[in-house]
Amino acid sequence: MSADDSLACQDCGATLRFHGTRTTRCPYCASPSVLARPASPDLPNPDFVVAFGISEASALERAKNWTRSRGVFTHGGILRASIEDVRGVYLPAYLYTSIGSASYSAQIGEDYQEIETYAETVNGRTEMRTRTVTKTEWRSLTGEWQGYFRDVVVSASRGLPNAELEAVEPFDLRLLRRFSEAQVQGWITEEPSMQLGACVADARQEAMQGLGQTLDRLMPGDSHSDLQFTSHFEREQASLVLVPCWVLAVRYDKEKPPVRLVINGQTGKAWGKAPLSWLRIAIAVLLTAAVIAGLVVAARGRP
Amino acid sequence: MSCARCASPLEVGDIRCAVCSLPAPAGSDAPARTTASILRCDECGAAVTYSAEHVGTRCPFCGAVAHLEQPADPIEAAEGFLPFRVSPAEAAAALRSWMDTLGFFRPSDLAAKATVDHIRPLFFAGWLFEADALVSWAADSDAGSGSSEWAPHSGQVPMRFDNVLVSASRGLSAQEVARLASGFQLTNIAPEPVGATEAMVERFDVQRSTARAIIANAVHGTAYARTESGQVPGRRVRNCHISVMVQALQSRRYGFPAYVLAYRYGDKAYRAVVHGQDAAIAFGDAPLSIRKILLVAFGVAALVLIIVAVLSNR
Repeated sequence: MSADDSLACQDCGATLRFHGTRTTRCPYCASPSVLARPASPDLPNPDFVVAFGISEASALERAKNWTRSRGVFTHGGILRASIEDVRGVYLPAYLYTSIGSASYSAQIGEDYQEIETYAETVNGRTEMRTRTVTKTEWRSLTGEWQGYFRDVVVSASRGLPNAELEAVEPFDLRLLRRFSEAQVQGWITEEPSMQLGACVADARQEAMQGLGQTLDRLMPGDSHSDLQFTSHFEREQASLVLVPCWVLAVRYDKEKPPVRLVINGQTGKAWGKAPLSWLRIAIAVLLTAAVIAGLVVAARGRP
Repeated sequence: MSCARCASPLEVGDIRCAVCSLPAPAGSDAPARTTASILRCDECGAAVTYSAEHVGTRCPFCGAVAHLEQPADPIEAAEGFLPFRVSPAEAAAALRSWMDTLGFFRPSDLAAKATVDHIRPLFFAGWLFEADALVSWAADSDAGSGSSEWAPHSGQVPMRFDNVLVSASRGLSAQEVARLASGFQLTNIAPEPVGATEAMVERFDVQRSTARAIIANAVHGTAYARTESGQVPGRRVRNCHISVMVQALQSRRYGFPAYVLAYRYGDKAYRAVVHGQDAAIAFGDAPLSIRKILLVAFGVAALVLIIVAVLSNR
């Protein structure tokens, strides 16, 4: 039986439909229902939940702060935008952990100082002087690394791509709980719409970025360059976790589609792609060009 | 139960391994068939919804709130107590023996004239941990250096940590606990305090998550010290960086016996600590002899003057 199959409301008996969600409200009596179903490889049941900690009123306040704090090149309508369609959504994501191994190589720069003799002309006479210069000796370094990758969260929703989820991370996973219906009743709870394999590939990509930063911090020397590594993942585990997000529509222009604003439902961190004002950018470019031209003209006019 | 990936024990309430984050196995409660259910209020039977403000379900009709069970993060008690093997009288004698070893610049009559105000037996709180770890390291040292006095090195080394003591004490400083650490015998550990009926028992006043963070820092700190001193070649080391993969981390919470002594010399009070199982380990604050310090200073100054006078008369 798929998640879109119809079931009866326990309150009034009306037919309920779950369209890609695990929760719904009865269209007749408004009772909130939660779907319980056997897990399947394509549609696993959630293992964990990070519960909402930010209320709707608080999410709206953060959305207003977001519109007020955009940069000078943002479309002017954002400041006066109306916020519509506020929805609290439990987003499906995979929580990935594994053991990672890496072989790395890098060029390590070790500084040293030398006293250098140079010639300088003083009052028409050439004098020999000395100065201390810092030079760098480059040495090759290779090595092995092994460690855990923990707390890598990747979106399992086609509706909210991983890049948008990353923008509002992190979630405080110390407050992770096992999934229970009580935590999601009355809230939109999206079913995973991406395949596990694709999500694990995303997670490995994120883990690789983290590994690059880890190896960068591991390097000795006064400087380093050309850090390269190959990595290998084993004992991988991906658990389905529901993470809380407020999704809001910011309508800044009646003629244009609204901007989607995503707010972390646990920490309140907000992210949205604010539209730019090309008029403001053009004015700024013209003003800058005019100032540069003025300076050049002034410089040439000098005797 | 232990983690299937890193073999660290899982404690009651853990939903993930604290070391490697592998989810702990859950009981299988998946439904056999698809159903749509409504959670109801225990008070009035109306359908409830989850409330972010209340962190639990709330009935919109009667307002009844059912708080969700919070993730387990308890403050845990000591699992056992190491027995006192040093009596208060032996501790007082150990204090005076220690005073005799303090050197020339202390008062000569310190051991004779110091009066002990009180001897307070104490079970201080601490963790003992055991773990295996694979340490990946990179550092600069003078070994193999060329134009620069430093050359880069890297390595990977397995390490074993056996019964490393980490302080959870508020009464003793970390340095004091480090000095006491070597003398404990991990035998005859009792579930209740043993050997000193008046002993004060320190409580573990940090939550499990904080305790784990403290222990993780201790693992890292111990691994760093061992790597820097024992793994990097050469005599001088800098920029030592490590990455530690811990396995089979086990920690136990114990009460460790010690005496905290207050003694008086002249008008001033001083504090000392004596090990509760090994009276040879004693340390603390002690007065300096101003008279002896001045005497040495004058003696040195006089000697310098004599040498200068002799040299100038040549």
